[in-house]
Amino acid sequence: MKETIHNIIASPNGMTRRQFLWGTLVGSSALALGLPLYSSYENGFRSETFVARVRDYQADISWIVRAGFQELGVSAAEIKGKKILLKPNLVEPHTEKPHINTHPLFVRGVAEAFLHLGAAKVYIAEGTGHCRDTIYILEESGFSEIIKEDRLPFVDLNYDAIFEKSNAGKYTKCSSFYLPGILQEVDWIVSLPKLKTHHWTGITLSMKNLFGLMPGAYYGWPKNVLHSLGIEQSLLDITATVKPHFAIVDGIIGMEGDGPIMGIPKAAQVIVMGRNFPAVDATCARIMGIDPHKIRYLSAAAGWLGPIRERHIHQVGEPITSVRMNFALEEKIPAHKNIRI
Amino acid sequence: MNPKMINAKNVINYLNETILTRKAGNGGFFPSITHKKPCPVATSWAILACLSSGIKTEEIKTAQAYLSAIQREDGRICIDVHNSAAFWPTALAILAWQGASEYRNQFDKAIQFLLNTTGIHFPKEADAPTGHDSSIHGWPWIEKTHSWIEPTALSILALKIAGHTEHVRVKEGIKMIMNRQLNNGGWNYGNTTVFGRELYPMPDSTAIAISALYGSISRPDIDKSIDYLKSRIEKIKAPFSLGWGILGLSVWDERPGEIKEKILESLNLQKTYGEFQTSLLSLLLISYTAPKGLQGIFQTES
Repeated sequence: MKETIHNIIASPNGMTRRQFLWGTLVGSSALALGLPLYSSYENGFRSETFVARVRDYQADISWIVRAGFQELGVSAAEIKGKKILLKPNLVEPHTEKPHINTHPLFVRGVAEAFLHLGAAKVYIAEGTGHCRDTIYILEESGFSEIIKEDRLPFVDLNYDAIFEKSNAGKYTKCSSFYLPGILQEVDWIVSLPKLKTHHWTGITLSMKNLFGLMPGAYYGWPKNVLHSLGIEQSLLDITATVKPHFAIVDGIIGMEGDGPIMGIPKAAQVIVMGRNFPAVDATCARIMGIDPHKIRYLSAAAGWLGPIRERHIHQVGEPITSVRMNFALEEKIPAHKNIRI
Repeated sequence: MNPKMINAKNVINYLNETILTRKAGNGGFFPSITHKKPCPVATSWAILACLSSGIKTEEIKTAQAYLSAIQREDGRICIDVHNSAAFWPTALAILAWQGASEYRNQFDKAIQFLLNTTGIHFPKEADAPTGHDSSIHGWPWIEKTHSWIEPTALSILALKIAGHTEHVRVKEGIKMIMNRQLNNGGWNYGNTTVFGRELYPMPDSTAIAISALYGSISRPDIDKSIDYLKSRIEKIKAPFSLGWGILGLSVWDERPGEIKEKILESLNLQKTYGEFQTSLLSLLLISYTAPKGLQGIFQTES
């Protein structure tokens, strides 16, 4: 009975016993998720990512993002008149720890870039997963000035009106997901994660950031329903179901070690962007000195949601080798074991 | 009233009036000015606000009827009629029905539901990455998930106010909350350490926890919790943390000063974030009108 419970039930932080054991017993194969392995051809998926070196948050982030848009073929014609939802990663309210949340100046720069290309409206939206008081996080994390001065409307995804959408992934047993209504109103959903290690999934980037789209009123605080379903399986299903449009990663100051909260700052000084989420996450992993093929959710996504092989991702901007900076991993964290390139 | 017109003189009237404008035709309350589908969370908080401020008896009765209409057969109240798993509003509905003789059956069924319901729990293993004792039962947000601080604290509050202070589930819930207390006295959503590192406290979780613990533990057990909350409350403007912070400190006779001014400052954030949700406006009103904390609403009634 004990084993049965441990095999089925999520731990308080969401890791099932089975998931916990994966790290130590199974290694990094997609087989660990019960997923099919795709061929090295990755079903013909090809994508592009752009990497820019950025010294600090005082840089002209809007200009850099626009340069990235140009490199990636995102034109004014594509953005003009569109409603854009920016989804930063706002985890906890700690002003003095700028490595936890996506930086407000980064979000401002991205918003300006979209507005420059003629976006009709840019929303900032988040459904925080730990602290139920979203306004408190915004106030404590420096976002209030951005929202006020730039007149960017904020949408609390934890309490927005809801619609139900069939699960397009089926890696979890969920037949459908409850999603915030704003997702139906906007034209582009843009993930703005922080470049961080993660103690359950190895890394947390554009795909894991999508957990924040899921309304807490239906998934809890933390979003323990998704943990019970399997963190990696859930983020694969959410990505497949939501079909987000673009990712721009705040790696100017990232986090290494025991992320996503208790790690230490890592001045990686990069912005990574692209249309395909597995490709962006794989590129970020390589920058962090982590093998994307050894990250289970990326291994599972390869050839289904996008490419992760380096030869299938056309790299523009800075080459990975010039910005690579090994992020510290912790021996005691199973998800960190054997993932170094 | 336009939020831009709020001042120290009319702030309480503003709250009273605005909450009532969120009333739906079926007796429930809308969650916000833009979200026009009544919900049990907004309705329960609006009832508590009306009870606390002593107004609009008729509004309370029709709102209680709405809660009755959406109650499930087993007693639970869910966030959505199409979703039976998100039953966390049940504790709020119990508070909202407290003392309403017309809804005694519904009230009793909801209490039985809570007493018969818990989260997923399992023995703590020596090598578990998380630090708390995962075997101690509390209440979850959502069915078939682990128990966390806020739903456990709300359930304890509801059950204690309903007279179940000595029930074994209440006592175990209190033990669960104390097990999740951080070394500095505060609480977060419900994890203490992960991979050996202690996580950070949050004011809202701390305030809700100490509200539930009142009368069940001795003051020295939460001296540090109160110190932590007092150190934060002066800077907090966000309505959820401010409202609960005031209520949590008030029940332990540590009510902060200049509450009306603090509420006014919080309401001014609407210029940045848009009009607050009904539950947040209600919480702010209760924090002003209930000087003895959430429990005080019902003590006054009796």
